[in-house]
Amino acid sequence: MEYALLQAVFIPLLLSPVAYILGRKMGPNAAMWFTFAVLLYTTVLVIQAAMGGTTEEHYPWTDLFGEFGFLMDGLASPFAIMIYVLSLILVLYSKPYMIHRFHEQFEEEQKELQAAGGQSTVVESRSLTDYVNAKSGLYFALYLVFAMGMLGTVLATNLIEFYIFFEVMLIPGFFLVAIWGDGPRRKIGLMFLFWTHAGAVVLLLGFLMIGLTIGSFDFADIRESEIPQDIVLISAIAIAIGLGVKLAVFIFHIWLPYVHGSAPTPISALLSPAMIGIGAYGIFRLIVEFLPATFAELSIWFHIWGLVTMIYGGAMALMQDDIKRLLAYSSISQMGYILFGIGSMSVLGLAGAEMMYVTHALGKGILFMMAGIIIVKVGTRSISKLGGLAGKMPITAVCAVIGALTIMGVPPTSGFMGEWILFYGALETAIEEGSTVRAVTFGLGLVATALTMSYMLWMLKRVFFGKTPEHLENVKEGSWYMTAPMMVLAGFTVVVGIYPDIFLQTIIPYMQGVLGV
Amino acid sequence: MATETMGLPFEATSAAAWLVWILPFVAALIMPAVGKASKKFTGYVAVGFALMSAVSAASLLPVTLDASEIHHQITWIEAIGLKGGVLADPLSVIMANVVGWISFLIMIYSTGYMKGDKDITRFWFWMMFFIGSMQIIVLSDNLLQVFFGWEGVGLASYALISFWYRDKKKDHVGTEGRTVLGLLDYYAPTHAGMKAFIMTKVGDVMMIAGMLLIFLFAGTFGFKELMGDLGWAEAMSAQGLLVPAFVLIFGGAVGKSAQFPLNEWLLEAMTGPTAVSALIHAATMVKAGVFLVARIGPIVFALAAAGIMAEQFFEIVAWVGAITALLLATQGMVNQEIKKVLAYSTGSQIGYMMMALGVAGLSHQYVDGYTAGFFHLISHAMFKASLFMAAGSLLHVVGSRFMSDMGGLRKHMKKTYAFMWAAGLGLMGAPFITTGFWSKDAIFAAVYESGSEWALPLYGIAILTAIITAFYTTRMMGLVFFGNKSKHIEKMEEEGHHVHEATLSMWVPYGILAVLTIGIGLIGLSAEENIHHLFDEYLDHSFGIHSEHYENGESILPAPLQGLNPVALGSSLVAFAIGIGLGYIFYIGRWVDATKFVNSNIFFYAIHKVILNRWYLNAIIYWCFVVAPLWLARAVYRYFEKTAIDYGMNDGFQKAAGWGAKVVQGTQTGVTQSYLFVFGAGLLFIILILLI
Repeated sequence: MEYALLQAVFIPLLLSPVAYILGRKMGPNAAMWFTFAVLLYTTVLVIQAAMGGTTEEHYPWTDLFGEFGFLMDGLASPFAIMIYVLSLILVLYSKPYMIHRFHEQFEEEQKELQAAGGQSTVVESRSLTDYVNAKSGLYFALYLVFAMGMLGTVLATNLIEFYIFFEVMLIPGFFLVAIWGDGPRRKIGLMFLFWTHAGAVVLLLGFLMIGLTIGSFDFADIRESEIPQDIVLISAIAIAIGLGVKLAVFIFHIWLPYVHGSAPTPISALLSPAMIGIGAYGIFRLIVEFLPATFAELSIWFHIWGLVTMIYGGAMALMQDDIKRLLAYSSISQMGYILFGIGSMSVLGLAGAEMMYVTHALGKGILFMMAGIIIVKVGTRSISKLGGLAGKMPITAVCAVIGALTIMGVPPTSGFMGEWILFYGALETAIEEGSTVRAVTFGLGLVATALTMSYMLWMLKRVFFGKTPEHLENVKEGSWYMTAPMMVLAGFTVVVGIYPDIFLQTIIPYMQGVLGV
Repeated sequence: MATETMGLPFEATSAAAWLVWILPFVAALIMPAVGKASKKFTGYVAVGFALMSAVSAASLLPVTLDASEIHHQITWIEAIGLKGGVLADPLSVIMANVVGWISFLIMIYSTGYMKGDKDITRFWFWMMFFIGSMQIIVLSDNLLQVFFGWEGVGLASYALISFWYRDKKKDHVGTEGRTVLGLLDYYAPTHAGMKAFIMTKVGDVMMIAGMLLIFLFAGTFGFKELMGDLGWAEAMSAQGLLVPAFVLIFGGAVGKSAQFPLNEWLLEAMTGPTAVSALIHAATMVKAGVFLVARIGPIVFALAAAGIMAEQFFEIVAWVGAITALLLATQGMVNQEIKKVLAYSTGSQIGYMMMALGVAGLSHQYVDGYTAGFFHLISHAMFKASLFMAAGSLLHVVGSRFMSDMGGLRKHMKKTYAFMWAAGLGLMGAPFITTGFWSKDAIFAAVYESGSEWALPLYGIAILTAIITAFYTTRMMGLVFFGNKSKHIEKMEEEGHHVHEATLSMWVPYGILAVLTIGIGLIGLSAEENIHHLFDEYLDHSFGIHSEHYENGESILPAPLQGLNPVALGSSLVAFAIGIGLGYIFYIGRWVDATKFVNSNIFFYAIHKVILNRWYLNAIIYWCFVVAPLWLARAVYRYFEKTAIDYGMNDGFQKAAGWGAKVVQGTQTGVTQSYLFVFGAGLLFIILILLI
């Protein structure tokens, strides 16, 4: 189909004002179904394009930057599919969660008004409806822009285009956190904006160095040109740091627990599984593919950095009481797995790292949705106040267990298919190079999986099993809007776990091509 | 898609081999829907599918008759060129039948045992998942697929051990309030499930490392393919990686089979419903480890024929088995909970099997130890399933897991009493009439005749363990069925609950197995010879392992016992006599009071205490791998994440920015003189620089 990728990226952006107006005029249902329809259409476009093999589209842009293009190849397609599939099903989940959140905020604001004005205003239901309508319009409009920003980043074929989309996904993200977050949301939103933007600027520096040296920002030109050694190394490090912030690897993870903890849960469920992994996409595309020689030099450091992140994130997750912060640290740990896989510098290791993105998207998506259901239905996110919920919300419990198994890498979930391939790649390089360091990191990496398992099982035990505290006696299962998306992802993770060819068929040839095997 | 069937009387098809493990999964998948329609019906569905699966396994039996095999493959992960498949050879077919039929009986038992439980659908789902996963392990033709089943049984055990997830007091194990080295020896079901899953995961991590090493060199996970071209083994051996790889895989078996030092999860696994314990201990889970060693053992041994030595692998297997056998048997002597005694006994008996499979590789007659280990697996499966189910009936009737709450039950539960004796005699290895005797004797003989440098110490441990086994089994029988009624039972009777026999659906399954223990025991020697012959052909056929057929010539034994090792036979008889004798003195005849005896001197007291505290192994593991890491993580969280990262970077930047703003703000004084002053100073500075 012509212009498929162009449509997939820009239709959500162009139609986002419509979502806003629909929300304002007709309420959250209309806005939700409209957003769903838009994303359904674009998701179908993306999947179709992915099934048709490598797809490229080029459009004229400015002479200064080069072409404006989209590329869907073996690397980009799993990312693109996961981003849109998650965005699509989270639309449904958003409605009940966000309405719950709007109501909370409405009450808060009323209280503030009362406190400020001192007069007792009678809250009319009419004004609440207006409030919800307006807010849901804004929410879904921002949501669409957020989704298209992520997709645009992974399809971009030009450094400047990549940078623009990279920032485009940041802006709605900032507003979504700053308007509807929990806790000190403005501060946290600003923190998000500041750190990721600081990362993006470092990234841009790297881009400019490469672009100005070879005189073109197009991926196609970078692939073919020889870049001087000194510039390559510095720009590769700048790019790695810039993307490292997005990936929230150790030391640069500062912003992530706050933002994931505070963001409205459907957005956490997009930020964590879909967005931060785009950092990994960047490393694949910009460093592994374009700067192979530098990558070979840096790989061992990626490897160790990844390992440290895995263990550190896991250990910190053990210490959390806030369920969303726990999942946030778990995401840091999972990003460590991905970086670990990238550092393995072998076909299967890299393929495993990309599979980890897919599998983390599925697993963590489910788990964040689980957290959201608990927030809505129980009203607390403190693990120490939970317990024995399996009997109260069986569907959520079953899905959460499947999600946790995916993160732990237990077959038959997709987690296992990511993990064994990843570790195989690490082992392969270790043996081939005869490197003791790599052998040790391989061993420690496997130990980290036991750590992952520990914090996940412990979380499940404290939330879903054990005695039910008295204040939870009347808890009910979440609505279908919330449970059905979880069930879809849970089914998907098992399908991918048994039949990983769905993604491996496209990933492996790409990785072979990149490493020249 | 190659199907090999060679000269069978009637054709066993590959479809049956697939069905054996697919059927239980189908049952599991439809279970939620069935449960929605009618909870009562779930039991029938489960038993029906278990039966169909077992029948499919039985239809594969012709394969064993002439040591042929069915090997059927399909494409699985095309991107990496991996295939999935089933491999039905004599080893896996016998195992599949043991698993299938015993599981079937346990499912019948469960219909009675779990009657009225409101989460029954979940119970059946996981039971069927468990059986299906185990059959994947048994029938897979490659390690990766085995690993699917491997983790599947881990997952099912996690779900079933913590089946009663509400953590009610009656579902705990251990004694409330008792501590060992400052840690509670009292576990909730959810804790126990987690412990089992994580502890076996440690083994699984090793296993996957070993698997990946082999895949790296061989480029395949397939058992058949590994035997094709041995170049991979030579390459690994040259790099010194062959033995580590196989030992790592054995690490997986250590975890799953609860061998030293990963044995501690097995005790807490007793928090699950007793039907689950029976399934874990007799048919699935712990037997998976033994099966895996039986699967890869011949490959390792066959490498020796090709000049690639890996003897250390077998030494490690044998020693791990021996240590576990003794370590766990001792603890069986002192524990008060009936299910825990049986659990210790399982670990100990699995140790025997490992010992036999290990010793096999150290001798020239691989098939002897191999047969002994596998035969013991079969006989253990029968009597242990029977014992567990009978113990479940006791729990059901008495309502307590402590043997001190039982006592004098022989008059009230005659059938259970009789069947427990039969199965218990199997465990003790009662001479000539039980399967346990023949299989244990075969292990003794294999160890004794192995000619390994370790033969003597291993043999000593085996005999000592046999004595202890007979003792604790007698103790269990004595405490439960002899003596006076406990206060607990008297209280129950006062309240109007009378102790009665278990229901039909419960006693029939363990009755069948108890009778089989004796029945097959009576023809035990020829049964063993048949298996021996079968495995001899199988090993020759599939792995090229030849055994030397030699005649012992003159034996001092009478004609029916020809072919047995007189030393092994003699020590086996003596061990049985000593064990049951001591047990009788303390617990059936009650001529000596056991408690007084233990307290009579400091030496006995100390030993008793060490054993009762599980040799402190559990406490040490908890201190090193739970308490210390948590403490470390907390320290890092508090003093690094919260200070250096959070405060240092986030707040630090904020403060720095604020401070910077103030500095800049400070320059905006609005006083013309100060602007002029700075301007003048700057100008002077520039002029100075230019002049220099």
